[in-house]
Amino acid sequence: MMINQEPAGESIDLFRLASRWRSGAEWKKIVEEMDSEPVPSHLNTINSSGLFQIVSTDKMSVQYVGSPQHGHDVGVVQADYPAPTRRLAYYFEMTVKNAGQKGQVAIGFTMQHFKMRRQPGWEANSCGYHGDDGYLYRGQGKGESFGPTFTTNDTVGAGINYASQEFFFTKNAKLVGTVPKDIKGPLYPSIAVHSQNEEVTVNFGKKPFLFDIEGFILEERLKQQAMIEKLSLQPNISHWIVRSYLLHYGYQDTLKSFDLASENTYPSESMAQENGFDDQGDMYALDHRNILRQLIKNGNIDSAFQKLREWYPQVLQDDKSLVCFLLHSQRFIEYIRVGQLAEAVSYAQSELQKFFSVKSYVDLLQDVSGLLAYKVPVESSVGYLLDGPQREFVADAVNAVVLSTNPNLKDADRCLYSCLEKLLRQLTLCSLERRASSEDQGEAFCLHRELQSGGRAKCS
Amino acid sequence: MEIGEDPCGHRHLPSPKPTALFVLVFHFHRTIDEISCAAPMSKKVITREEWERKLKDVKIRKEDMNKLVMNFLVTEGYVEAAEKFRVESGTEPDIDLATITDRMAVKKALQSGNVEDAIEKVNDLNPTILDTNPQLYFHLQQQRLIELIRSGKIEEALEFAQEELAPRGEENQSFLEELERTVALLAFEDVKNCPYGELLDVSQRLKTASELNAAILTSQSHEKDPKLPSLLKMLIWAQNQLDEKAAYPRINNLTTAALEDPAV
Repeated sequence: MMINQEPAGESIDLFRLASRWRSGAEWKKIVEEMDSEPVPSHLNTINSSGLFQIVSTDKMSVQYVGSPQHGHDVGVVQADYPAPTRRLAYYFEMTVKNAGQKGQVAIGFTMQHFKMRRQPGWEANSCGYHGDDGYLYRGQGKGESFGPTFTTNDTVGAGINYASQEFFFTKNAKLVGTVPKDIKGPLYPSIAVHSQNEEVTVNFGKKPFLFDIEGFILEERLKQQAMIEKLSLQPNISHWIVRSYLLHYGYQDTLKSFDLASENTYPSESMAQENGFDDQGDMYALDHRNILRQLIKNGNIDSAFQKLREWYPQVLQDDKSLVCFLLHSQRFIEYIRVGQLAEAVSYAQSELQKFFSVKSYVDLLQDVSGLLAYKVPVESSVGYLLDGPQREFVADAVNAVVLSTNPNLKDADRCLYSCLEKLLRQLTLCSLERRASSEDQGEAFCLHRELQSGGRAKCS
Repeated sequence: MEIGEDPCGHRHLPSPKPTALFVLVFHFHRTIDEISCAAPMSKKVITREEWERKLKDVKIRKEDMNKLVMNFLVTEGYVEAAEKFRVESGTEPDIDLATITDRMAVKKALQSGNVEDAIEKVNDLNPTILDTNPQLYFHLQQQRLIELIRSGKIEEALEFAQEELAPRGEENQSFLEELERTVALLAFEDVKNCPYGELLDVSQRLKTASELNAAILTSQSHEKDPKLPSLLKMLIWAQNQLDEKAAYPRINNLTTAALEDPAV
């Protein structure tokens, strides 16, 4: 058997659609990984000034022992990881257990190689809110008047707002103030003690924060949304994009109802002309595409094959093409669905076996044939193959190859992607690229997450 | 605590005096920074090939696009299309479709000027909607007054204004102003050409109808606007944001979604 054989040249690359061949669990992982990064959870006991303070065994609190002599024996302790950036804001809190002799406690952010015997904010590329004078220090010799002082039993917080590029500080659940963030590079949440018996504990989010950080983030999000909502769109553009989506995928019944209902409000033809909207080509083979979609949707793969052979024999010419592979796999899956295992096995032997010679199909084939291994395939790790979206995926692939037979086709991408999908891809990529060029700071757009946060309040 | 002030309260030198070399290095750094900030040619250029390759790697789920389309159909009230779409795409609507029918019936009544009918239907749907929205209720009553004036029922209009609307105007200054503006329509023989003629416009009905539509959706804990237009605006915004960082292929025409070559 020949291995490493690639599918013969197809006019369109269906493998780009095949990236959709994923189970729900895999999708969940993709979304999670998109924004995953280490998060501070404890104090770093290794990188510290070492001499002046002890870190408790749970690595959550610090105490100053001994008596300080000068400005170079501060005890700074950093978190184990820098503040995560792939989000709208980062925040942590510190509670003063004991203000000690002088209450020279501080909270802020420092870089990895900060001089750990200096207060945060005294040295360049650091910033700190100091308890004894309530001043904010931002890497210059002098601090600036900022907020109230803080002492025993006070809880203060420090955060980074990545959207506005600001540091913000809180005291006892109230926002004290914000200052521009002019430091580049990873920033470590940091705390400092500097007089006898001073003791503080930190909270990196394991316990609920005193300050309503969720509310703060929501407010920031609403600000951003309000700004975006002010942008204007061409009239009726959403309507047009939805219509072109229905056309592209051949959701013909929906399209008919949609057009009927919008007849009065948006006369579709005149609108297309007025706005220069171009829907030529999308009407191509609409009836056929709709019939094929319905057949596959109902699991009637034999009929789908038959119709394709009758209407578009050219797309089935190469019996090792991806579309043939998908249809044969689906036929096999349909046997499994109804529990006809003997038929499934014989179908696999007669129709699926040949695809094992094509390297790029092997992974998918293993998933498909894996269905045979389980008594209750739906509950197995390959159970996703029996879900509705898998049929829809095969129907979409068939839709794409039928579109590709259009002799007037100018752009092969048009078979694969609807206008809506192209726009969503562009949006996702723009937001990822913007983040990549801003030191990985801020949220990136993800359609899946956007739709899940359905309850996200809107600014009215 | 101030820098250089030691815990014992003595002032002493904060840090070593910068040496000449240090100053030089510092100056050098600044110059580099200034160059990279000032020169626009430092803006990254992403070629079309590179961009298209990255676009291919973006992962969009078909089910999510279907949800987005379903959300549009449902929120905009295309109930039959939503039902068809559920069958054709297997996408479940995020709201009970029957409630759309009711919502659209209310909207339709209002759009055809049948305000009383619309109010009755809203109350059938959920009596708390109008109870908790005095402004909406006032606007509906105002619309009723407008419809009476439109159909030339002057006496009825006056009675309605005095009995139903004026007491509400006393409660709220902005209501009073709107009431006065509406009643002023009666002072003109040719209402269509009077300064308040816009109140008789179809757009006024649509405005009230969309306020009512939004209130019903909110009462059903559903967003009052479809997500799609917001996402399209987000695309425009995201492109503008990236413009500051890089030159890349933009989409300027949302209806063709065609990539334009980056301006270099």
